[in-house]
Amino acid sequence: MKKTLRAFFSLSLAVLLLLPGCGRGEKAEKEFVPKYDRETSFSLTVAGSYGNFESLEAEFERFYEYYPNASLQYVTMDDYNNVISKALIGNEPPDIFTTTGAMVGNEKYKDMFDACEILSDPSLDIDYSCIRSSLIRTNDSGEILMLPIFTTSYGMLVNMDIFEKEGLKVPNNYGELEDVCKALKSAGYESPVMGAVKVSGSGLFNCFSYPMFAYDVIKSGNGAGLLNSFEAGSGEIMRPSLERLSEFIGSGYVDIEKCREEITDEYESVIMRFFEGDVPMMLATGDIVSGTAKRESKSDAFSAKPFKYRFFTAPSGDDGGYFINSISICFSVNKNSKNLDMANEFMRFLISEGELGNMAGLKRLITPVDDFSFDEVYSALADIPDDRSFSDKETGLLDPAVRQFRAAIYAVGNGKMTVDEAITAYGNIPEE
Amino acid sequence: MKKALIVIPNLLIMGFILFFIIRYANFKAADSNKNEIASFEKMTMTTNQIIANYLEDEQHLCDIWSNYINGSAQAGTPMTADEAISYIRKAKISQEIEGHLIFLDDPKRAGISTSASISDPDVYTVSYKNINIFDNIENVSDVNDVVNLTRAYTNPTNGVQSIAFLNHVFVYDEEISEIRSGLLMRVVPLSRLEQKLVFLKGEYENVEISLVDKEGNYVVHGKSFKNSNFFEYYKSYNKSSAEEYERVKNEVTGGTGTMIIKNFKGDDCILSYMPLETMNIWFLITYIPEKDLVSSRAIDWMLLGTVILGLLSLLIFNAIILMTYNRKLADAAQQANQANEAKSYFLSTMSHDIRTPMNAILGLNEMVLRESSEEGIKKYSESIRAAGNTLLSLINDILDFSKIEAGKMELINVDYSFVSLLNDLVNMVEKKAEDKGLSLNLDIDEKIPTVLNGDEIRIKQIIINILSNAVKYTKQGSITFSAKAALIGDKQDSIGLRISVADTGIGIKPEDLDRLFVAFERIEEKRNRNIEGTGLGMTIAQSFLDMMGSHLEVKSEYGKGSVFSFEIEQKVIKWDPIGDYEEAFRRSLSERINYHEKFTAPHARVLAVDDTPVNLTVFVSLLKRTGIQIDTAGSGDEGIALYSKNHYDVIFLDHMMPDKDGIETLKEMKELKDTPNDATPIICLTANAISGMREMYTNAGFDDYLTKPINVERLEMMLLQYLPKGKIAPATDDDDMDEFVLPDFLFHLKELDVNSGLNHCGNGESYMLTLKLYHDTAAKNAEEIENYWAAGDIKNTTIKVHALKSTSRVIGALELGEFAARLEKAGDGGDTAMLSKELGELIKRYRALAADLDPLCEGAAPDKDDTRPFIEAGALEEFYKNLGEFCENFDFDSVVNLVESLAGYRIPDDEATRVDAIRKAVDNYDYEMIPGILSGEMG
Repeated sequence: MKKTLRAFFSLSLAVLLLLPGCGRGEKAEKEFVPKYDRETSFSLTVAGSYGNFESLEAEFERFYEYYPNASLQYVTMDDYNNVISKALIGNEPPDIFTTTGAMVGNEKYKDMFDACEILSDPSLDIDYSCIRSSLIRTNDSGEILMLPIFTTSYGMLVNMDIFEKEGLKVPNNYGELEDVCKALKSAGYESPVMGAVKVSGSGLFNCFSYPMFAYDVIKSGNGAGLLNSFEAGSGEIMRPSLERLSEFIGSGYVDIEKCREEITDEYESVIMRFFEGDVPMMLATGDIVSGTAKRESKSDAFSAKPFKYRFFTAPSGDDGGYFINSISICFSVNKNSKNLDMANEFMRFLISEGELGNMAGLKRLITPVDDFSFDEVYSALADIPDDRSFSDKETGLLDPAVRQFRAAIYAVGNGKMTVDEAITAYGNIPEE
Repeated sequence: MKKALIVIPNLLIMGFILFFIIRYANFKAADSNKNEIASFEKMTMTTNQIIANYLEDEQHLCDIWSNYINGSAQAGTPMTADEAISYIRKAKISQEIEGHLIFLDDPKRAGISTSASISDPDVYTVSYKNINIFDNIENVSDVNDVVNLTRAYTNPTNGVQSIAFLNHVFVYDEEISEIRSGLLMRVVPLSRLEQKLVFLKGEYENVEISLVDKEGNYVVHGKSFKNSNFFEYYKSYNKSSAEEYERVKNEVTGGTGTMIIKNFKGDDCILSYMPLETMNIWFLITYIPEKDLVSSRAIDWMLLGTVILGLLSLLIFNAIILMTYNRKLADAAQQANQANEAKSYFLSTMSHDIRTPMNAILGLNEMVLRESSEEGIKKYSESIRAAGNTLLSLINDILDFSKIEAGKMELINVDYSFVSLLNDLVNMVEKKAEDKGLSLNLDIDEKIPTVLNGDEIRIKQIIINILSNAVKYTKQGSITFSAKAALIGDKQDSIGLRISVADTGIGIKPEDLDRLFVAFERIEEKRNRNIEGTGLGMTIAQSFLDMMGSHLEVKSEYGKGSVFSFEIEQKVIKWDPIGDYEEAFRRSLSERINYHEKFTAPHARVLAVDDTPVNLTVFVSLLKRTGIQIDTAGSGDEGIALYSKNHYDVIFLDHMMPDKDGIETLKEMKELKDTPNDATPIICLTANAISGMREMYTNAGFDDYLTKPINVERLEMMLLQYLPKGKIAPATDDDDMDEFVLPDFLFHLKELDVNSGLNHCGNGESYMLTLKLYHDTAAKNAEEIENYWAAGDIKNTTIKVHALKSTSRVIGALELGEFAARLEKAGDGGDTAMLSKELGELIKRYRALAADLDPLCEGAAPDKDDTRPFIEAGALEEFYKNLGEFCENFDFDSVVNLVESLAGYRIPDDEATRVDAIRKAVDNYDYEMIPGILSGEMG
């Protein structure tokens, strides 16, 4: 994987440098050709939970170049997970809506998925081959009802200026992490590692432990099945990751209380606290990274003293960190849409290496297409060896199992449970 | 350049017009935009009112619900939540609108809805746990008609974007058996509010309306605003300082106004904002792309393009018309130039044609004045001179004007004696004034320096013009000529010479003063018709003064006189004062003597070439008293022949000659090598005196030029300049040195009128020669007449009588001439009787006269008084040779001229007989005899 990524990176760079404007050689995408009359007037509503979706709105503008009389609107829905199903059968149903990997297999979303257009229908002519196959989710019938738009990962934002200033290298494995933290601590950094700790899905514990846990699940063979069915004793699979979390928190290199006080939410506060410039490593998801670009100017500290930062995997394993590529959001089409054809047409337009790349670039998220993001912030991901790189689909874990793991790390991380207690209580750990 | 003069101003005008159009269009557009923005602001206010009315209405309905529910509670019969919802379900009219009664103290913020969940018809519960719309719930008022509104949110029962109007209600909770506070929500789909604003779409297609709270969070979200917070949106797409950001925040949430911001595309957008009426914690923001509202294209390019094309077409059309007219004007100008050239040619020709005879008239008249002893003759001659000079003056005026008009008049500054200038002026005017009985008063500043530098001739001409006019236009009284000198500022080497001429003449009317300097204008033409003049005098004087940096000032009182004055700057060469000029002049008058040559130069030799024999005669005569040896040549070729053989100290060469003109002759002379005259100055004699002649002659190679009629003083001055100094001797006091004394007996011959003969022959010498010829040929002629008569040859008899008539008149034998004339007439009329009767008498008288003239031939020894130079042997041989050639070619005119050219020379004794024989042959028209004489066979 590492070689592949490096080769791809190098090749892409060469292509970019040597053949500007020539597309991507043999893999050059076909230009989008509108299927319908360009003068067609129609309006589409895309519903989602993002408060802002500027990268999508930028695609609307690009789509208008082909359909100038189109009018597309993004609508933020409150309580999205509970409301989307109702909205789809309501008076003002969205034409396209966001879905997530976590919704798959959840009975709550059955009606929602029932309302989804089958995007793999050849007649729709949506070429999703550009999307990494490991990210494609199908239903039991093998039909594709959702196509990933963004992917994310779990890791940490690193203040490269601090490392450079202290003469340190970004740690690759847990041993190096301890050494680096020790050096930083002695250099006056009270909590070398920080992150959001307030809720069970919070960044710090999840970003540190979940990739390791997912790796263990994959390596365990049938572990996912046992965990999904909450088989007794299946919680043991969580042990290495929980112990490592416990060990790390116990090391004193992460001040949980400080994190609780200074990082008040899982998103905005994480970024703004990191931009204060005194946090060497901030555990965060790709979704959080996506918010950094826009907030650089909002941070007075960062504006006053900008610094270079990168996204790395959290070095929780003895051999190194784990890169888990998770779906951030997918788009599905409401098959009952009044403008179904045009909704599918927009999807046909959007599902392409170029458009998805554009969106990911604007959103500063990881693109789902094979063309890995060139965003420098994510450049370190290319160094992860193949055996520690995987998608969350490969874990086979269903959302309930994942939520139980998150409840476990929240309990252990906050000292509410011991590792053993959490393992024993797997399946019944209280969730928030 | 001419095209540029047309094109550039036109382009500038076009540019100005376009600039004006653009400025005007921009002004109008700005004005229009201002109005558009004002209209947009009004629209915002209207929208505000509509929204406010709508919100108040909805709030009022919500309040009715809550009042009813709360009224029950106040009445002691509080409703349960189910009863309240049931009431609302009945009370509400629209299916779209829902009533939600929720309890905020419930952890899930749950409650009951009037409508079942769209996904489950049996579920009426509703939860707002995950919908964050109650941040400002403490602000919800209990007061009726105060709008309490949520932001737009997703209705949890049906997933529709909605807004909710709030009020507190009190319901009975059966579980806890207590009155419980709940929040009643009138949930209205956002689309209903949007429908209220549909009217805006007609006027503003792309207008978007948002409602934000004080923090900028959207209550109602316009679709173009990408962020969830307006101020974040502003900050994301508008580069602004923290202060600017705060200012925008304060403005939008602080009052009413309009601003321009960038949207996410970077386009300018008009933003109108104001607090929402009845809800001053929310703010209405209307937004429209600037291009939709204002005309970004301030200029109508179609109009501008049409104007440009129109102006260009006009320019091209005008250019074509102008070019066409220019071409016609150029043609006309060319024709005018040609006409002007023709005029110049005419003036040149006229100059020559008039001056040539004038040369003869004035030259010969001069001789008459010098040589005549009769007072009557002198009086006539003086009149001729005066009239001639007047005529010359008129011609000169015209020629000067021609020069000035052609821009070829130039000032030639020389050092001059001011006294000399005064002398000339006074001499010229004094006589005229005296003749008219006018007194000439002089008022000459004694301090005027002796020698000045300036164009003496032109200054003299100016003053002469003024003085002449004064004399002309003054019948009685006086002319006062004054000259004053004054220093000019710091100039050490110059003076201001102020000249003024005052007269007691007729004066000039004020209205005529402006016409004074107009060419060819003569004031009061009718009254002054008897006064000579071209009307150019004052124009020429003013032109000269212009060239000298001055101007003529005129003060005049009609009927009383005029004062003409001017001041010119003159360089001073010699500061010695001239002293009392008037006294000196009066003294000189008393001592005035007649003409006297300025010098003698008997050893100097001059060649004069002119095709007109009489001009040569005049030339020789004028210089006679200087003793200069003069050779004459009647043509260019003849001149060249003499040039190559003899040395001359000065050569005068006439310009206008047949066959080979003066310039061609000069050219050939200059081309000859090793002649005795390589360094001899050659002066052009010309009757041409119009502009440009000086340049032409000096360019042609002449050393100088002299205009005809020849002024003897100028001629002598020129000779003084060019003759070798060693050959110049002072003039003698003997006035009669060259006087040819006629024998006394001539005056006693009854048949002869000596004065008449002298008049015909020019001078005494010529007269004597003519008489001798008459005497020598008389016997032969008389014999021939008799022979022809005897032979009955009436025709030849008559011819011979005709010759006798002419020759008799020439020598002053006037009666004999008349007698011969009568017989000639008789012969012509075939009156043989008369001839028979009187011819004998005629011949008798003819022979008697010849006999009376015998003393002329007695002792024909060489005349001791003859001071003429001997002709050189080479020249005489050349004379014989040319004479022979002319005879061979039957060119008898040239023969006559050539023989006449010998008049200026004494012939050596050994050749005298032959030359006399030739002269006789010429006098007797026996040209055929000449070759024989030359060969020695005859004579």
